[in-house]
Amino acid sequence: MADIALMATGITKYFHDPVTTPVLKNIAIDVAKGEFVSIVGKSGCGKSTLLYVLSTMDRDYEGNLEINGVKATGRSLNDLAQLRNESIGFVFQFHYLLPDFNCLKNVMIPALRLGKLSYKEVESKAYEKLKMFGVEDQALKRADKLSGGQQQRVAIARALINDPAIIMGDEPTGNLDSKNTGIVFDLFQKLTQEFHQTIITVTHDEDFARRSDRIIEMADGEIKSHGRNK
Amino acid sequence: MKVSVNTEIAVTYLSSRKKQTLVAAMGVMFGVSMFIFMQSLMKGTNDYFEKMSFNTTPHIRLYSENKVADTHMMNNYLRDSSIKILDNPKQLIQRQGIINPYGVINQIQRDTRVAAITPQVTANVIYTSGSVQLNGTVAGVNITQEDKMFDVKGNMVTGNLEDLNHVNNSVLIGKGIADKLSLHTGDNITVGTGTGTPIVMRVIGIYSSGVKQVDETKSYTNITEAQNLLGKDRSYVTDIKINLKDYNAAPDVAPELETITGYKAEDWVQANSTLKTAFKIRAMILNSVVGVILLVAGFGIYNILNMTIYEKIKEIAILKAIGFSGASVISIFLQQAIYIGIMGGIIGVFFGFLTSYGFSKLYIGGSAPVGGTLNYIPMSFYMPHYVEAIVFGILTTIAAGYFPARKASRVDPVTIIRG
Ligand SMILES: Nc1ncnc2c1ncn2[C@@H]1O[C@H](COP(=O)(O)OP(=O)(O)O)[C@@H](O)[C@H]1O
Ligand SMILES: [Mg+2]
Repeated sequence: MADIALMATGITKYFHDPVTTPVLKNIAIDVAKGEFVSIVGKSGCGKSTLLYVLSTMDRDYEGNLEINGVKATGRSLNDLAQLRNESIGFVFQFHYLLPDFNCLKNVMIPALRLGKLSYKEVESKAYEKLKMFGVEDQALKRADKLSGGQQQRVAIARALINDPAIIMGDEPTGNLDSKNTGIVFDLFQKLTQEFHQTIITVTHDEDFARRSDRIIEMADGEIKSHGRNK
Repeated sequence: MKVSVNTEIAVTYLSSRKKQTLVAAMGVMFGVSMFIFMQSLMKGTNDYFEKMSFNTTPHIRLYSENKVADTHMMNNYLRDSSIKILDNPKQLIQRQGIINPYGVINQIQRDTRVAAITPQVTANVIYTSGSVQLNGTVAGVNITQEDKMFDVKGNMVTGNLEDLNHVNNSVLIGKGIADKLSLHTGDNITVGTGTGTPIVMRVIGIYSSGVKQVDETKSYTNITEAQNLLGKDRSYVTDIKINLKDYNAAPDVAPELETITGYKAEDWVQANSTLKTAFKIRAMILNSVVGVILLVAGFGIYNILNMTIYEKIKEIAILKAIGFSGASVISIFLQQAIYIGIMGGIIGVFFGFLTSYGFSKLYIGGSAPVGGTLNYIPMSFYMPHYVEAIVFGILTTIAAGYFPARKASRVDPVTIIRG
């Protein structure tokens, strides 16, 4: 395994409310570059919690996390913000767009933050992404005027805008019909195969999971199967 | 110009809640315009009273002061470095008045900072008319020069000022003296000093300076007349009054004149120390009012930003999740505060100017239309006040915006997003 996109070892996390209980128990995960990984498991088994740790947003855990071969554990908030902006695209379980901005701006903001492209370039790139998910006609509408499924697609477009090395999704297709789920899946697959981007996504959609490269099964804060013997 | 994404977000947040933004800006506007109004009023009245005081007080007054014996004679005599101590020093016997006054005047006149200079003989007198007596002072002056320096003509109620020059034994009395002794132009009045013989003088006019204390005691006469009153010779002068081109230089020039002439030189700041104290107290009162207004405006901004942060906490979490650093979040919210401040500041400057201008046209005139009374509220239009107002306004908004902004920057994205 030459190119490792993400490697986590000994990840243990507790919630202290109402009583101290372990939610993640000594989890080890490694994902290669260009791999398309699904995480499945019963509701409440700790999938979202794990994803927040892997995405560097949650710093309150024990264990070690490396992204693109660089240690992420213990780095400063600013460093991690920069890392997320540049290398990690995240699709939240409850799509969270910024309601005061139109859809186009929502997609553009991470790229404007990164500041590698000019405003015009960012704008046309954002349009392109919206088009891929069939929501380009909603571009100039305020984000909170869209249906749930449309918002989710805009949120996925936003996660892709900076061409991140790793894309993480927490049930990114949870609100989509089968046709749009198909579009998202095909696109994710294309990203991994053609552009060597890495995808880690939590899903309840068995069909979606089965078609991905590998299924990681979780139960009770532990990994039951890494899905390597496929 | 490349607008940073932080700025774009800040502006969007402000414009998506226009009403609250406007209310917060109004608070700043009110503070800034009040600041300008108060400062204009204060400087206006201060300048007015300062000018008023120049109607009676010269910029510098030179006079001979009674001295107490000191050690300089002993030093001159012994010429050693020992320290001398005078036990129980006494007042020195001194000639009253200034020696060789016209020589001194010539010397001072050579200084380019001096605009006008005139000698005066001051005499403490008792006015008598019929059976009524009144204490006061007579200023023996060259009325033409006096008029140039203090605009005596503008204070005239009746009579002609020039008559002082060609009517023998003439006197120009204050309105208060005229009222108390029931005198009119053309009447006679007996003026006596302790030393000379009392002289019957003719009232050739009545003036009113607007300062009650002056009008009730002071009268003008020719300088030679005053010398006669005191029984002194023609070289007797008690005061030399000096006006400078720039009256603010007086506190610096006065000590120089003291060393050159050896007489006491009192500048107008010393002479009007009560006035200056009043200025200070007034400044304190007005500044604290303005301070309170700005404080309230600051709370307005603090409040609106706190509310924004409370409402947008999820969005702040998203911004941080997609890679905005704490500093960026501070910048987003601090910018909102600053834009509110700039907006309020600019409107406040206009409004402050308009209010000041409006008040300066407000007639509050006294009944007697005599120079020296206050007809309109005195207002100054002084550029630095406007600059200060904007600076203070924006500083207030920054201070008020900083704490909510810092709070926003500390939002932990996972806690919020996890729900
Ligand atoms: N803020 C929290 N405080 C305490 N317990 C929590 C908190 N968030 C989640 N949990 C618990 O942690 C476990 C894992 O949650 P989560 O990762 O959201 O599960 P999943 O995403 O797999 O459905 C659940 O039992 C949940 O009740
Ligand atoms: Mg979940």
